[in-house]
Amino acid sequence: MQQFLNTALTGLTLGMVYAAFALALVLIWRSTRIVNFAQAPMAMVTTFVALVVIDAGHSYWLGFVAALLSGLVLGAFLERVVIRPVEGKAEINAVILTLGLFIVLHALAAVVFGNRYRSFPAPFGLEGITVGGTTIALNGFGIFTIVSVLVVMGLLVALFRFTDVGLRMRASAFNQEVARLLGVKVGAMLTLGWALASLVGSLAGLLIAGGGLVHPSYMDSVVVFGFVAAVLGGLDSPLGAVVGGLILGVSLSFVSGYVGSQLVALAALVILMLVLTLKPGGLFAQAAERRV
Amino acid sequence: MLTLTGLCAGYGPVTALEDVSLTAREGEITAVLGANGAGKTTLLRTVSGLHRARSGDIDLAGTRLDTVAAERMPRLGLAHVPEGRGVITELTVEENLRLGGLGRGGRVSTSDLARITDLFPVLGDRSAALASTLSGGERQMLVIGRALMARPTMLLLDEPSLGLAPRIVAQIFGLVRTLVREEGLSVLLVEQNARSALSVADHGVVLNLGRVVADAPADELAGDDQLRHAYLGF
Repeated sequence: MQQFLNTALTGLTLGMVYAAFALALVLIWRSTRIVNFAQAPMAMVTTFVALVVIDAGHSYWLGFVAALLSGLVLGAFLERVVIRPVEGKAEINAVILTLGLFIVLHALAAVVFGNRYRSFPAPFGLEGITVGGTTIALNGFGIFTIVSVLVVMGLLVALFRFTDVGLRMRASAFNQEVARLLGVKVGAMLTLGWALASLVGSLAGLLIAGGGLVHPSYMDSVVVFGFVAAVLGGLDSPLGAVVGGLILGVSLSFVSGYVGSQLVALAALVILMLVLTLKPGGLFAQAAERRV
Repeated sequence: MLTLTGLCAGYGPVTALEDVSLTAREGEITAVLGANGAGKTTLLRTVSGLHRARSGDIDLAGTRLDTVAAERMPRLGLAHVPEGRGVITELTVEENLRLGGLGRGGRVSTSDLARITDLFPVLGDRSAALASTLSGGERQMLVIGRALMARPTMLLLDEPSLGLAPRIVAQIFGLVRTLVREEGLSVLLVEQNARSALSVADHGVVLNLGRVVADAPADELAGDDQLRHAYLGF
């Protein structure tokens, strides 16, 4: 029973991080139909920004904020400078560009920050919390992980649902031409979408790094899990990304805890294949609208 | 009000509009008629900035439009209701309407929304529903209502009758007529359904293969048997 609970808690924490990463992919996919392969190295770069700030003697929190802000700026910058020139052309062009960015950011990070493992601090204890005499697999940082992802998601939902700029962003994502006719500056909305996606990706990067080691390629395996989570939920659905992330995190945690940790990557692949076979649009895909 | 002079436009080697000149007068409905491929949709897309003219002038009440970006048009008083409904199906009815109001700049008030739901009560009844659940006629009302949210002076309507039952077409055209009469709105209406369009329009322009072949008051066009048989198909 205790092992079951702990496995579930570990999976839940991990799932939250996958959810954040999947959400970053979905935000870009649904407005531009681009799978952003550069999401992982973008998050990695911002984590290193945090590390530079922290190593300079500042607090973890200043580094945390610096990473999120640099994510915002990096996302906007890359959309404007790299993606915008191929906007309106075949989507594959932009996807290849994000693959190129993946390589370039890796190389730049290795040059600037060094191609070695560096430890990254955590703001809360990594000791499991003790409940009624038994220690459970949920520590302060795990709680922080869950809460911070929930807060960011809540803010995003509020932005999209209740603000004018959120309405403009959704309109741009769903129908660019109609949005333009209604006075929406679609280009600015795409830039903002990339900026927000990059911010959410940065959060995922920081949460993975916390209390562990960072390296220019430390996020690369997460991109696989984040992508599986996004496909699982349906690439078009932000809610799907979150649910997909949680399902994946918990499933993989059980595979790791009860079957063997070496099978985790294989299990993710099996889940991906099952989803693509049984429900290719993902669990939360909106039924394709019938043209009248 | 809206004046096009010597407008030429095309796609690559294809010429869609050739030396088109026409005027849509203030407080009138001007119908642009012609068969499929006559250049009617290109005409509207060029006026609203979605497509760039090769040459020629577009003038809306003294403002040159031919270099203005499409997203600036709502602020200049021009609203374009595109062909094929153009509702954003993933948004609710109210969100679609709000979006139209935002185009003018500034915030959208409940009285703005109330003005439109008074005109189209069905939109008020369904305001929280996703636009994808609306019928064809309701969608057409939504796109027109959404365009009106920006309080335009010039409304471009692209094939509003497409795929709708005659009774719904009559209802929508009747409403457009009322808006023109009561609010002084000017309308440039593109239609393949020439008979219905001429029954509601003040003035008609007939396009054939990108050229203007007739430009006359609507009743005159409707009475010209030869022209009707040659270009309008009724």
